[in-house]
Amino acid sequence: MSNLWIISNTVETAYEMLAKARELVSDSGGSVTAFLNGSEYQAQEAISYGADLVKLMRMPEKTAWEEYVPVLVQEAQGQKPDIILVGATRRGKDLAAQLAAHLDCPCVTECKTIQYDGSKAILKRMVYGGLAEKTIECNEFPLIATVTGRTFSKWEVKETARQGTVSTLALPNVVKMQVVERRPKPKETVNLKDAPFVVGVGRGFSEASDVKLAEELAQAMGGEVACSRPIAEDLHWLPEDRYIGISGQVIKPDVYLAAGISGQVQHVYGIRDAKTIVAVNKNENAPIFQVADYYIVGDLKEVLPALTKAAQEVKGS
Amino acid sequence: MKKIVACYKWVVDEADIRVEGKARSLNFDRIKYKISEYDRNAIEVGASFNEKQGCQFLAVTCGANVEASLKDVLSRGPESIAYVNDGALEETDSSVTSKVLAGIIKKIGEVDLVICGEGSSDGYSQQVGPRLAALLGYASVTFVNKLELTEDGIRAERKLEDGVEVVELTGPAVVTVLPDINKPRIPSLKQILAAKKKTSEKLELAAIGLDSLALKQKTLDVSGTVMERKNIQINSGGMTIEEAAQKLVQQLKADGSLA
Repeated sequence: MSNLWIISNTVETAYEMLAKARELVSDSGGSVTAFLNGSEYQAQEAISYGADLVKLMRMPEKTAWEEYVPVLVQEAQGQKPDIILVGATRRGKDLAAQLAAHLDCPCVTECKTIQYDGSKAILKRMVYGGLAEKTIECNEFPLIATVTGRTFSKWEVKETARQGTVSTLALPNVVKMQVVERRPKPKETVNLKDAPFVVGVGRGFSEASDVKLAEELAQAMGGEVACSRPIAEDLHWLPEDRYIGISGQVIKPDVYLAAGISGQVQHVYGIRDAKTIVAVNKNENAPIFQVADYYIVGDLKEVLPALTKAAQEVKGS
Repeated sequence: MKKIVACYKWVVDEADIRVEGKARSLNFDRIKYKISEYDRNAIEVGASFNEKQGCQFLAVTCGANVEASLKDVLSRGPESIAYVNDGALEETDSSVTSKVLAGIIKKIGEVDLVICGEGSSDGYSQQVGPRLAALLGYASVTFVNKLELTEDGIRAERKLEDGVEVVELTGPAVVTVLPDINKPRIPSLKQILAAKKKTSEKLELAAIGLDSLALKQKTLDVSGTVMERKNIQINSGGMTIEEAAQKLVQQLKADGSLA
């Protein structure tokens, strides 16, 4: 019989991991405990989505959420979970790694798949900036794995008849950090994840004013503009929440059009699951062409306006 | 005077890895090594505190073949380096790496601040920083893009998914930094020459109290990710840009890709 935990500071990812946790314990009749940053209502939701026990880990006002680690260490020593799935937010990854060090156990970051037969677990994750996939075997438990949002799917139908118990965890008496300020992210931020068509701006753009060529194309196609990391972080031509890649946004649009992007693996990581990839680059040996479905070799100052015009004709017809 | 340590990893340059054949196996024949990109930001933070505020600043690393990195790292600002170079570290995981680094840092002693990159550019597990904090009993402050030293601790801004969290603490800490915290230097000739005179201390695993290094996870396979794409050039054979643009848009429409 196995005992699984899920820990998450975002409830949606918690519900998704609960479906996976239920699948992993299904044969053994084990239990699933959810450690959740949420309300009483969300705790009941978590039960409907597969939790047997819910322990609320509410966001502290005066210190960081990760300060729950010593409490979790104690809980783990008592309950002896076999697998702990942690939502791979930045807070989640910090907490998971600290917990793993205290428990002297393995931790697999951002796993894509996980199989468990009661004695060993097989996991897959990306390495070398998305160039390769690594298959890992773990025979030592507890095993911690972090999971990004939308890796697994929550149950389509809640089981509202499910019963479970809810309690609240207290923070340790002594904490190390004081939170002196929290500044929420401004609301006007773009939602690239839902855009069907995304134009990516890269270093092939020689000046900031050329970005409007990409914006005009995106508008004609009913999409959004994104960029590679240097455009946002070094040149500041576009806001940071528009950069795509391993440390930025990961998107799955119908069409991604890479304009003046060379195609470094770190960028490609963020567009891997696009349905169609189109590339425009004047360098005929640009690596981006190897990961593109369609490409045009040419100067983006000519190609983008031509595409905008062609798109307007098609959309207008 | 505060004592600051920056940790770095000597990694393969992923741009030199070739994916080959149907099995999509990885070819490392033409590989070069580099200081992990993210760790260059960590080193720059330490160098800046050393130059502007007079902090003591050391670099720390471990691996199977890290001696080739010493001159490079010392030209980037540290006053000295302490490292473990041991064949037993040919294959490591975050658990082993953090134990070795913690051992070196304890040996150095009285370290106030440890700085790491947010992750390594090869594995990008993002665990070593927080694991180190747990092993050393230090505070873990991750994903920082602004960092100040205070009289008896630090003040840091963490960039999280939903906004910025500003934290203060007294006592020692491990901080992981984001790439936008600074722009790492390209060492000048003077800095490269000065690096030759700096000291490096090699430590043995036994000297830091580590006899056995059991990996927590076994790698069964590493192979190139499959990216099945059509690779069709639209404007082959002297087509004008206008014609190519129209052809591409028609193709996307035919594929059902245009909303």
